[in-house]
Amino acid sequence: MSVAWVGSQPVSLMDAIQNAAKLLASSRCPVFTLDTDVHGTRSAIALAERLGGAYDHGLGETLANEVSLFTNHGGMFTTPGEARRRSSLIVLVGEIPASHHEMLESWAASRPDLGDRNKRLWFHASGSGTVSADTSKLVRKLKAVSLGGDGLSLEGALAVLRAELHGRHVASPLVNVAQFRQALNKSQFPVFVFSGTSGEAAGLVMLQGLIADLNKNGRASSVFLPADDDAWGTALTSLWMTGFPPRTGFSNSLPSYDPVRWDVQRMIREKEADLHVWMSTRGDETPPARGRIALISLSKNETPTAGAAVTISVGKAGVDHDGVTYSSRVGTFRAVAASAPSQLPSISSIVQQLAEALPGRRALPC
Amino acid sequence: MLIRLVGGEVIDPVNNGPRQRDVWIKDGVLIDPPMGETADQTHDVSGCIVMAGAIDIHSHIGGGNVNTARLLLPEHHAAHQPRPAHTPLSNAGWSTFQTGTLYAQMGFTTVVEPAMAPYTALHTHLELADIPIIDKATLAILGNDDFTLSLLRNGKSSAMLDDYIAWVVGSTRALGVKVINAGAAAAFKENVRSFSFDDVVPEYGVSSRKIVKSLQASVTRLGIPHPLHVHANNLGIAGSADTAADTIAATEGVPLHLAHLQFYGYGTEGKRKFSSEAARLAELINANPDVTIDIGQVMFGQTVTISSDVMRQFTAIGNASPKKSVILDGDGNGGGGIVPYRYKQDYYGSLQWAVGLELFLLITDPWRVFFTTDHPNGAPFTAYPELFELLMSSGARDAKSTELNATALELTTLASVRREYTLEEIAIMTRAAPARLLGLKDRGHLGPGAIADVAVYRKGKDIARMFREAALVFKNGDLVVKNGKVTHYRWGKTLRLNPPPDKAMIKRMRDYHEERYGLSLDWFTFPDSAIQRDAPFAEVSCNS
Ligand SMILES: [Zn+2]
Repeated sequence: MSVAWVGSQPVSLMDAIQNAAKLLASSRCPVFTLDTDVHGTRSAIALAERLGGAYDHGLGETLANEVSLFTNHGGMFTTPGEARRRSSLIVLVGEIPASHHEMLESWAASRPDLGDRNKRLWFHASGSGTVSADTSKLVRKLKAVSLGGDGLSLEGALAVLRAELHGRHVASPLVNVAQFRQALNKSQFPVFVFSGTSGEAAGLVMLQGLIADLNKNGRASSVFLPADDDAWGTALTSLWMTGFPPRTGFSNSLPSYDPVRWDVQRMIREKEADLHVWMSTRGDETPPARGRIALISLSKNETPTAGAAVTISVGKAGVDHDGVTYSSRVGTFRAVAASAPSQLPSISSIVQQLAEALPGRRALPC
Repeated sequence: MLIRLVGGEVIDPVNNGPRQRDVWIKDGVLIDPPMGETADQTHDVSGCIVMAGAIDIHSHIGGGNVNTARLLLPEHHAAHQPRPAHTPLSNAGWSTFQTGTLYAQMGFTTVVEPAMAPYTALHTHLELADIPIIDKATLAILGNDDFTLSLLRNGKSSAMLDDYIAWVVGSTRALGVKVINAGAAAAFKENVRSFSFDDVVPEYGVSSRKIVKSLQASVTRLGIPHPLHVHANNLGIAGSADTAADTIAATEGVPLHLAHLQFYGYGTEGKRKFSSEAARLAELINANPDVTIDIGQVMFGQTVTISSDVMRQFTAIGNASPKKSVILDGDGNGGGGIVPYRYKQDYYGSLQWAVGLELFLLITDPWRVFFTTDHPNGAPFTAYPELFELLMSSGARDAKSTELNATALELTTLASVRREYTLEEIAIMTRAAPARLLGLKDRGHLGPGAIADVAVYRKGKDIARMFREAALVFKNGDLVVKNGKVTHYRWGKTLRLNPPPDKAMIKRMRDYHEERYGLSLDWFTFPDSAIQRDAPFAEVSCNS
């Protein structure tokens, strides 16, 4: 079975590395799309620094939305573990990614053992925009009471809710607010569960405003469930390595963060970049429609990536090899052992080999 | 490899050798001058002072809360001015890479991150492992978690508490134990808004005092070299000096370290009801040999406060500058708050600045007062050179005082204190004493057998400059800094204790996590290999 290709021709891994290194060395502005575990991310960012490139995550748009809640506002948060143990009132906010549904169902099957220890109640706050069939199913399964407003955005719905909880008169009240108020009175530690997919940035800020209101006299918090755990892990890794989240670029080894300037898809479209290094370890994915610039693909595929100058097959942390990934189950990083160990190399080992094949042949710092 | 430093002035208070002597390094270790051997490498250090590498016992350099601060404040990098360098990622402002580089350039070779939440230990260690050049260590936070509080409520044996603490310290790879506003984070989740030393955590019926005393005793019984590291209640509040005094009085013959005492040096005198109690606290410290403290000096300018004292940080949100913050009610000992803050040269800032300096100068024993800004809470660690100057020059203090709020300074004793730290005292406070306090016998001095962590500073009138740019720095005998610039990249270790875990406690932990979190214990623990560096840890032994 081949693991490396130049164009559509199978080649040795060494040849593929040499070819990719040549492209990297001659690139004026390489851009990196990341999708890997902590260690793959560390190596890729170190390589981007050496080459004066820019990097983003494959799910950069959603990630940027999540990051902006923090860079613009901040908020009050708690961990999934604390919510499970302490919160008898959970409010799901907007669209919750399917990857988190199993965890939320497991909370429903348990009873809080700290705080008020009441039986857990569920609500679902949303604007009138549709949520996915999966989230609707979850809402039904959890018997979550709807808190919605007709014709309102998430931000609008939450603004109405804030006003009503303040006792202000509103023109068109949300449904089930009386029931919610009653639940709030009984719960010592209500928790709002949201994601970058829950709604637009202004909606997430409004949610934090609501939580701040509730903390004036009582307690409340939120659990942030990233739209994608791996993407959030990449954001955290990028922060300690460069001081910045993704959509960071290097010039003269100085990193700068700019979610517009270093939006890698935009740079490809507008031909600011001249080489795209695309990483994808979740399997059988193809790079997004691209401009006509050279492509190096480090992806978990059994075939060469269409249009790629070089393709190298890589494994996924926690499946093919051991690694470290962000996990929403614990709200932090977790060591993951290979579940089906394979010969596929890790992104970090391939990136190290690429660095050592570049002129100067220096090893990366990580 | 045999290295010789010739012609320097050696400041090594632990070993009473002659001041004018050569320093010899062989294969990473300091040795006595060898007979009849010639050095492979000789450095002329005449006109320079030679000290052991400095050790910082309390600096928030990595982990979940530090990283959240980066996330909150991408604009904050100006506080960590990048300087031209040619080492990987060392221009990345406020990154792990820059942290190691900037510390090394000042002659620091070991730094302790004092606040690791046990459940986020892997994250902390991933960051520490990406801090180049220097050695690191971290303290595990305990005292706000359901497991500890339940043991105390249920009157379980002290042996069981010992087993639990040993398991936490071992599995999180910590060098010691810290307690942060004991019980307050748990109480805050139950909507308690203020918490003092004799207040009781709801649900558990356990006082803050009881938590501190139990942990202090356990740490001592376990032979953990570093005394319990205490972040006391009521940080930053006018009148907090009373809380500090209560805590100091509670040592009862057992060692205890009180962190960033400056933030508790406040009384309620004056028109603004915010005054200095530094002189009183200094007297209490001088009279109680069980207590060590670090200062948490405030220096002026923009910074960000990062603390696991979630109750305190919540009350500080209103003063956030810029106006954004993160408050995290974490699992047990995790969580905290990130609140950006600008120390202004106004009444409050001037008073805080003076309180820190009073404590530095009025506490007489340099073995018991430690040099910190509680980075970044009082100031970023990059302000250290200016702080050395203030300690070593009463003239520098007078000059700075003229820029500050006179009303505030009049409520302090600062102007009347003319003490100036000597180089020997600086060497004790930043080298010898920290090594002793942390149980690191292999460093902090220049005697034969110590690891060759050596800082060479060019003597000059400009004290800040001297300490900002070390002339030479050796880490384990590797020359890593020349003329204030990192010239060689290497990876240090994270120093940890490794007490053997009790089998029954492992089983208990397994059951506890499965029952309470619905997850097996391996979700919360990790193998060394998860760090993906060669031998990332080095073991320090417990007292027998
Ligand atoms: Zn601190």
